[in-house]
Amino acid sequence: MEPRTEAIYNKNIALTALIGILASLLLSIHGGSFSPLPIYGGIIFMVIMFIGYFLTNHFLAEQDPALFILACFIVQLGLIMLYRIKPESAVKQITWFGIGLILFFASSLISRYWIGIQIGSFYYFIITVLLLISPLIFGVERWGSKSWIAFQSFSFQPSELAKITFSFFLAESLRHWKIKDPLYFFGQILVVLGLLAVARDLGGAMLFYFTALIIIFAATSRWDLGLIGIAGAAISGFIGYQLFGHVRVRVKAWLNPWEDVPGKGYQIVQSLFAMAEGGFFGTGLGLGRPDYIPAVTTDFIFSAFFEEFGFLGASALIVVYFLLVYRGIKISLSIKNSFLSLAALSITTFFGIQIFIIIGGVTKLIPMTGVTLPFMSYGGSSMVMSFISLGILNGIKMKAAGDEIHG
Amino acid sequence: MFELLARSAKYIFICLIYYFLLNFLKIMVADLRKDKDKPQDTGFCLLEDNGQKYPLFNINTIGRAEDSDIIINDPFISSKHALITKKGSSLVIQDLHSTNGSFLNGKKIKRPMKLKEDDEILLGTKKLTFLRSETFGAKDRGYL
Repeated sequence: MEPRTEAIYNKNIALTALIGILASLLLSIHGGSFSPLPIYGGIIFMVIMFIGYFLTNHFLAEQDPALFILACFIVQLGLIMLYRIKPESAVKQITWFGIGLILFFASSLISRYWIGIQIGSFYYFIITVLLLISPLIFGVERWGSKSWIAFQSFSFQPSELAKITFSFFLAESLRHWKIKDPLYFFGQILVVLGLLAVARDLGGAMLFYFTALIIIFAATSRWDLGLIGIAGAAISGFIGYQLFGHVRVRVKAWLNPWEDVPGKGYQIVQSLFAMAEGGFFGTGLGLGRPDYIPAVTTDFIFSAFFEEFGFLGASALIVVYFLLVYRGIKISLSIKNSFLSLAALSITTFFGIQIFIIIGGVTKLIPMTGVTLPFMSYGGSSMVMSFISLGILNGIKMKAAGDEIHG
Repeated sequence: MFELLARSAKYIFICLIYYFLLNFLKIMVADLRKDKDKPQDTGFCLLEDNGQKYPLFNINTIGRAEDSDIIINDPFISSKHALITKKGSSLVIQDLHSTNGSFLNGKKIKRPMKLKEDDEILLGTKKLTFLRSETFGAKDRGYL
């Protein structure tokens, strides 16, 4: 890395820490009396972040440091919001952040050395299917979809892990930028989408569908497939609307939330009120009313952030997410090997579409679907899996850079 | 008291967040500048019969001259024999009025022609095959 770039990266990690310190000092006197919890939390976060930054820079040669810094910055902003809304959940979130960083490190190294092993697209397909079937058998139903596995107080969504195996499946099937056996390949994708629909995880099905569409188009550059895919999305959207009651509710709440404000439109209306309250500069940290917004720590954390940091803060956050996606696409473009390039692209696409779906949902651009905002929403499995997929992206970058040097 | 602090702090937060973005923008611009300067590998290559491999960049001149991008020392090849350039997403070959002519899959190249995978190019008496670098690599390195 050039010294000048490294200096900018160091400056940015320091800025992330500075924002954390200022916010935790401010929040410690929130509510009239002094409480040290945000300060302790801020310090612990800072220590974990600096140790992680040092270790990844020291041990992971040829990595992309921007991925780590951007992720930490988003986690920092998410944590500030969590302290503000519910301090106990922020403490748990820091634990998940620590675990996430360890797994980021591990998955970078593992994918650096083992991603070249060919195990064939069929095995990736089988693993994906097993992961998606498991909650149908052992799972519990939550928020209308049966896609969770719960052990005592800990719960996990296997479809988060299936995103990674599905990315590898797509990349492996489209090796050499060609579809070898179209019927078989599209059949496999339909099975995966069908399983998600059976679990009634429709946000997930949408995510997998569009990722597959984008990767197939990126690999083959065929307009006909792209158009068929978009037509297919429209048709399956219509079927979903007819078939599932909660899709109808969501679409109606999206078309006109003001029809039933205390009932179906409640979430989206509260989210819109919060954003309107924020204005350009926001109400200021600690002065908004996030307690009015339902599911504010998970799905609607963006609305709470919008209220207190304003339009300027929220659009900056979207740009930070955009930068993360940009880095992923850049990694993918710089690799000539089709498997690695497509794997990097599909992991990035999963991130990008997920961010678009949830931010579009809370701002009433598209109908609301319950997916988490990566790195920001409260929740262990989302945080951990986001870090693992980011680590794989980092590992692919390291592997490609290593191959270039050693020939 | 808290309200006053929070109201003034919000401008500081916005400034810090945008300063963070500005720094990344600087890195992005530096990256783009660096990428523009270096010749870009197109991912394709020419393979000679004797196993010699020539990676193809955006612009490649082929000939006997010392300043050609791809130097082939053969009496039947002119000093500036042919040119392969990148047009959009494909590579295009054209003959540079060479003495012995260039042939693509047996046909003489008169105007610029698009190259496809596994095309055979005949320059003078030298036969070259147009391949993706990756398919070439797959033959001798197995896992890649």
